[in-house]
Amino acid sequence: MGLATEKAPEYIERMPGGSFMLTRMDQVINLARANSLWPLTFGTSCCAIEMMMATGASRHDIARFGAEVARPSPRQADLIIIAGTIVKRMAPRLRTLYEQMAEPRYVIATGACTISGGPFIYHSYTTIRGADEIIPVDVYVPGCPPRPEALFYGLLTLQKMIKSGETVRKPGIRKKPVLSALPPDVSMKEIEAQMQEALEKDSEVDVEKTRQGLKWPTGI
Amino acid sequence: MAVKVSTLDERIKLTDSADSPLDTQEYFINMGPQHPATHGVLRLMLKLDGETVREVIPVLGYIHRGIEKIGEHSTYRQFVHLTDRCDYLSAMMNNWAVSLMVEKALKVELNDRIEYIRTIMAELERIQSHMLWWGVLGMDLGAFTPFLYGFRDRELITDIFEETIGCRLTMNYIQPGGVMDDIHPNFVDRVKKVIEYAKPKIDEYEELLSGNVIIQERLRNVGVLSADKATSLGVTGPVLRASGVPLDLRRVAPYGVYDKVNFEVAVGSVGDCWDRYWVRIEEIRQSMSMIEQLIDNIPAGKTMLMKPAKKTVLPEGSHYAQLETARGILGIYAVSDGVSDKPVRIHMRSPNYNNVWSADEMTRDSRIGDLVANVSSIDIVVPDIDR
Repeated sequence: MGLATEKAPEYIERMPGGSFMLTRMDQVINLARANSLWPLTFGTSCCAIEMMMATGASRHDIARFGAEVARPSPRQADLIIIAGTIVKRMAPRLRTLYEQMAEPRYVIATGACTISGGPFIYHSYTTIRGADEIIPVDVYVPGCPPRPEALFYGLLTLQKMIKSGETVRKPGIRKKPVLSALPPDVSMKEIEAQMQEALEKDSEVDVEKTRQGLKWPTGI
Repeated sequence: MAVKVSTLDERIKLTDSADSPLDTQEYFINMGPQHPATHGVLRLMLKLDGETVREVIPVLGYIHRGIEKIGEHSTYRQFVHLTDRCDYLSAMMNNWAVSLMVEKALKVELNDRIEYIRTIMAELERIQSHMLWWGVLGMDLGAFTPFLYGFRDRELITDIFEETIGCRLTMNYIQPGGVMDDIHPNFVDRVKKVIEYAKPKIDEYEELLSGNVIIQERLRNVGVLSADKATSLGVTGPVLRASGVPLDLRRVAPYGVYDKVNFEVAVGSVGDCWDRYWVRIEEIRQSMSMIEQLIDNIPAGKTMLMKPAKKTVLPEGSHYAQLETARGILGIYAVSDGVSDKPVRIHMRSPNYNNVWSADEMTRDSRIGDLVANVSSIDIVVPDIDR
């Protein structure tokens, strides 16, 4: 029970012959929810291939995070990974699917199209500029399409959100996890200065020389 | 020639009233747009009599993003990256089609290095596309193992793309006048290794799935598409070749360096799902042998002959170029006014759009289970249908 005792606020009473733990029911339920998300197989375009790579295929195995049970029916799913562009004709169907899913339901928007319209943001008469115009989105995963690792990062973020958010009494209110917070003794200006320094240093590169100097991996 | 146009509502109404009291009730059922066996958001209206499919009506537009319209507002170089998102499993061949159209119109002579790189990349793409199809076909028919095998081997090819191009799926690599960047120093070695690794894997695929009795029963003599019907529907690619028509643009009208390599066009005889399966498996083998012939002989030379920043204006008039993607003939048609660097009209003749209508011909009077096999054996990519 390493994970449970680490994450949940608990009180452990030592007793002869062992110990017992007191904790909040909300924490236990959220922990269980976060580690057994059932995604809906919803893919409209290119991002669906990378999502299939992430969920089904052997190299990037999403089962490690407990979210591999992809269900074709929205009734059995509680996570919808919107993979691909949403157009005006698909929008009502997406809304219906979302409403058919079991509560509490979570949404990950993958790819540029579902965040803002992506490559189809200008001059397209059908694209919905961002899936959050149709349904509420919990986590955005950028990329065109995002790598499976990026999707995993999004999933882990969602799990953090679930673990530290919503209570059973007040469903639907989720705390956003602060993943991008800076460490206490680092300021944004320092980072900018470092980046500037790196840019100036890298501004003149002899590409051929660098290429020859590098050792390339030889294995498959 | 008069064409009768009917809406979906009319087609459903007409058949309802035709029922006689003695017949069993025919009814309509929706398959999709959210259905795992339709490879995306294809919606099929099925006219059923019990479990027998009487008619399949594809209903399109659930991923229509208006790519052709966006193309009218973008330059040719900008349009290349939109074609990646149409048929994302043959992304580089789509890029190539646009580049071919521009080069043909401007009469740009390419050097051998560019042609070699393009051809090798296109064949790699074809292999990974067919591997994915193979895995998904297995999954559609109820076997999950092929999915794991196909995706495992496809990842290796994706790695090669990533090393050279920096992208796994939507490459935007082949551009008018050449390719985006030179190949990675490790490219040749790695391709050889992957081919060496994947060759015996194809035999493993065959052992795993092809010889299986269930797969044979599900595919043999199912969804027969005759050569006449296939030609009249405008079907192209492996679906057409499986029906016995040896139309392969790589052979009939060679582009790239296809005229310098030896390969055979896989042709089926019956036109059933099994032939389509076999044709694709054979195409993987042929592609591998093509790459083997080319990979050692990539000549030296520049990789980009047109200045990317320069305004590209095509001569006034209409321009067309076509090539063979993993799914069939992709044609790009553009009309230029001779002044602007943007086309007045751009149109894509996409292979999937024509292929999807053959699902009706294949499935008529067979069972719902056969429909899944048929749709899977056509190997459709829905964003390419709707564009």
